Amino acid sequence: MSSAGSLQGEAAARDPHTPSPTLDRPDDYLHAQSTLRSWFLTTDHKRIALLYLASITAFFVVGAVAAGFVRLALVVPDGAILTNDTYNKAFTIHGVVMVWFFLIPSIPATFGNFLIPLMIGAKDLAFPKLNLASWYVFMTGALFTLAAVVLGGVDTGWTFYAPLSTAFSNTWVLPALIGVTITGFSSILTGLNFVVTIHTMRAPGMTWFRLPIFVWTHYATSLIFLLATPVITLALILLIAERAFHVGVFDPAYGGDPVLFQHLFWFYSHPAVYIMVLPGMGVISEIVPAFAQKKLFGYRFVAYAAIGLASVTFFVWGHHMFVNGQSDLASLAFSALSFAVAVPSAVKVYNWTATIHKGSLRLDTPMLYAMGYIGLFVLGGLTGLYLATLAINQHIHATYFVVAHFHYIMVGGTVLAFLGGLHFWWPKITGRMYSEPWGRISALFIFIGFNVTFFPQFILGYLGMPRRYATYPPEFQLLNVLSSAGSTILAAGYLFPMVYLVHSLWFGRRAPGNPWDAKGLEWETASPPPPHNFAGVPRVPEVPYDYPIQAPETGRQHT
Amino acid sequence: MKAQSALALWPPAASATAVETDHIILGFTVLTLLLTVPVFLAITYFALRYRQGEVADRTTDGRRSVLIEISWMLIPYVLTLFFFGWGAKLFIDSRHPPPDAMVVEAVGRQWMWKFQHPTGQSEINDLHLPIDQPVRIRITSQDVIHALYLPALRLQIAALPDRTTEIWFKADRTGTFRLYCSEYCGTDHSVMDGNLTLMTQAAYQDWLTHGGAQQSNVAAGRAIYESYGCAGCHDGAVAGVKAPALAGLYGRAVHLADGRTITADADYIRAKILNPNANRLAGGGKQVMPSFAGVIPADDLDRLVGYLKSYHRVADGETR
Amino acid sequence: MSADPAAAGPVGVTRAEHFATVGQQRHAATLGMWAWLLTELLLFAGLFLTALILRLLHPEAVQAAAGHLKFWIGAANTVVLLCSSLTMSAAIELSRLGWQRMMVGCLVATASLGALFLALKGYEYYADYEEHMMPFLARRPYALAEQPATRLFVNLYYVATALHAVHLLTGIAILVGLTWKASRPGFLQRHQNWIEVYGLYWHFIDLIWIIAFPVLYVVNR
Repeated sequence: MSSAGSLQGEAAARDPHTPSPTLDRPDDYLHAQSTLRSWFLTTDHKRIALLYLASITAFFVVGAVAAGFVRLALVVPDGAILTNDTYNKAFTIHGVVMVWFFLIPSIPATFGNFLIPLMIGAKDLAFPKLNLASWYVFMTGALFTLAAVVLGGVDTGWTFYAPLSTAFSNTWVLPALIGVTITGFSSILTGLNFVVTIHTMRAPGMTWFRLPIFVWTHYATSLIFLLATPVITLALILLIAERAFHVGVFDPAYGGDPVLFQHLFWFYSHPAVYIMVLPGMGVISEIVPAFAQKKLFGYRFVAYAAIGLASVTFFVWGHHMFVNGQSDLASLAFSALSFAVAVPSAVKVYNWTATIHKGSLRLDTPMLYAMGYIGLFVLGGLTGLYLATLAINQHIHATYFVVAHFHYIMVGGTVLAFLGGLHFWWPKITGRMYSEPWGRISALFIFIGFNVTFFPQFILGYLGMPRRYATYPPEFQLLNVLSSAGSTILAAGYLFPMVYLVHSLWFGRRAPGNPWDAKGLEWETASPPPPHNFAGVPRVPEVPYDYPIQAPETGRQHT
Repeated sequence: MKAQSALALWPPAASATAVETDHIILGFTVLTLLLTVPVFLAITYFALRYRQGEVADRTTDGRRSVLIEISWMLIPYVLTLFFFGWGAKLFIDSRHPPPDAMVVEAVGRQWMWKFQHPTGQSEINDLHLPIDQPVRIRITSQDVIHALYLPALRLQIAALPDRTTEIWFKADRTGTFRLYCSEYCGTDHSVMDGNLTLMTQAAYQDWLTHGGAQQSNVAAGRAIYESYGCAGCHDGAVAGVKAPALAGLYGRAVHLADGRTITADADYIRAKILNPNANRLAGGGKQVMPSFAGVIPADDLDRLVGYLKSYHRVADGETR
Repeated sequence: MSADPAAAGPVGVTRAEHFATVGQQRHAATLGMWAWLLTELLLFAGLFLTALILRLLHPEAVQAAAGHLKFWIGAANTVVLLCSSLTMSAAIELSRLGWQRMMVGCLVATASLGALFLALKGYEYYADYEEHMMPFLARRPYALAEQPATRLFVNLYYVATALHAVHLLTGIAILVGLTWKASRPGFLQRHQNWIEVYGLYWHFIDLIWIIAFPVLYVVNR
């Protein structure tokens, strides 16, 4: 295994059915059938992934437009552009749609669905019909909620805190809650499918420590889906029961406990942050070695770190309630445990950096996104430690500092990873190459626009501007205008890919099976893959990330 | 001071705890830079140095890297733990008031704050307090969850509907600072704010005896007018309810259903709020207003009546 | 659908296209059901935990409210569900032996016992209604109105038992469908593992009641 060329030759020899990139391929999964029915009743994990991709892109647009209204309103301090009520409804649309219908399904439901069977050498997920059903469940819940928040309007924020949501809000809270509850089942079914698939469907020779990190992080994510989602389902059912039938346990009018809702809510919603972050880490762990042409540094540590993050995240929910009258002891414990999250996160970041060291780097679009991801994730993660520090939290809790922090994690993290992955696997998914210059330009726009939008919000937060404010004191205007200006750059950066990626579907260059000289079973089949993924049973290489440049590997002797 | 410059990059600090919080965050920022700048520089350097096509030494030794892995896992963690300890100590201190602290009761409701001083005076949305004196704020809510946020003191605490939470501080700098509601509480969350005025002990005593006892400023009355839902019907925001407009009511003649005509003075307004069914108005409108007897405390009622007395002046010019 | 050699005997499983072996398929089905049951367990665990927290917060109110629960109906229902688990286990054993007719009999018995549970539960709800123990009914006075915190426990009791009843109702509906399919000739040659996988679900519903009964009825007596 010394040079890229010989590996290429070997890969081609392994799979003699890889068609030449210039031929039309009517037998690939995209062209095998073409009726509408063959899309909406498909059980092919790749087609279901595309159904998800189309739907979450639509939801992303809705959420982004709402964010645009929010930033527009905040250009002036006195609320002259949107009334308080409209502003509150706009940020609720943004939060609800982005969290529940874009971020949570984003990478798992699209790339996870598409790639897990390919990466482990399976023909499909273990339960293909269940996979299709979970898309329908997702769409049912999503459209229900979308109708409620867009047509009716809901003003509780995505957090639905009781008793505001159960007794005081006069908006369409109930349908929104029902829709979110339904969507939860889609998460559970997807997670269940992934866990079972990764356990039982691996190709012969695909041992656990030969799995790509992408599969490891999705395994960890699926565990969170399975273990945390039922708790939010329960919390939402209790909320629905309380709002609709006055059957509930949160309303203090009956001696109930509104903080109990926060506990149940964050017991899910903090792990949900890792539902959003872990798959992104998986994507970056694939992109970085491919574009450094170097074996991933410390494979086993990175794999264990994914499981470690998924475990620690279940024990830190109380850091959302430091100022809510929680006992000192609980606050101390949750603060200390939150600091522990830094350990597995540091493992990831330093290992990616070490992988780049002495690599042979190509700075194509996916790699630009990956490098942007590392920078923004580091900032987002460390500002998370600020928030976990009790005395600092007492000042910046529920201010714009929090808003900036979680946007660095969710946009800087999840969205950049999503876009990086989209460009990385676009040739595999569609069989076409996108426009590289446009890709790099939009990556740059997004990176700059993102930082101009959200960095000022760290300062605003420390200055003491509370979040979810439709009006604000005039001394905060300058930074708010700067933030809004940045969001227009960010919006342009989002628009470019929607144009040039769609354009490439018809006019892009045909993609070869492995345009990046990347390793992993998904690159050993044709682009796009045939309906059952592989022409024969794929041969699993002995070492994961077997790139030309080696890296020290602590666990290699065991594989 | 309240008139801050357009681009302030650091908030004013009005207590020793606030200054120490700033020290923690500054120290943490230094550590953050120490941990991140090398990573950013390394990524940039590697990206340039090891670009494909660049001539560079790419040989790696096959040494086991457990030591490196463990060290970059644990060293940053241990360093940050120092700030965990410091922050925890300061936080715990702010939870345990000294016994000589003066107690201010605070109540949040949609969408106003009400503060009651130990001597009985109360004020709406604004809070006047002495410096160099430990102050303990006991806080609760009458409806949803709110949170009192005092940025100049680097403190906030939730106002929960079913229990009392508390926070204490000892300010050491006079001035007027902002106070906010920081827990999202519905439509007018962002206008549930006011001013925290820190004054010398002498000035505070003076304020209590002269200003505080009869605080009847228009803004406080307006907050109550909106908080108790008067504005919804009487300012025409709720469709289908034909409640009489109250602007300019004070001092005007009112025709009643039994043929009498009386002047709308303070007593009339007060009686009408507590018992809307008495003194039915002429014109045959359906009486739908609920009684506020037992709902609105006496001091709030005083402020409300005070506000209605001045409503015509307000309505002519600025409405707020 | 290609028949596997293993399916030639009286009992077996037809391999679906995307699985490499029947063993893999059986493993996937079993693991899938366990994963599902894990999430269900967490759903109910949150509910029971909330019930225990309520007991800590308002001990007198919880005991006053729990005093109105019909302990003996709950106990009888526990016995009914345990018996249904027994008949379900028997059905699984019989399916492995290939004794189709007796297996179908056991499945019918299981579904009937489940229906008996629901009937008893329905009677219990009716008795609660008669005792004015439905605080969420706006027009019906509530028996313990002077103790507002009792509403919390009573409400939680309805949420927990209703959620369990919904699971049981779904279970019975699926079981009826399964029994109808299982009575067809050749079922055990093709889908024997359906019975095993379904059995896991039925035992789980039983398990939830076995937790709910002590948490709601027994510890508060």
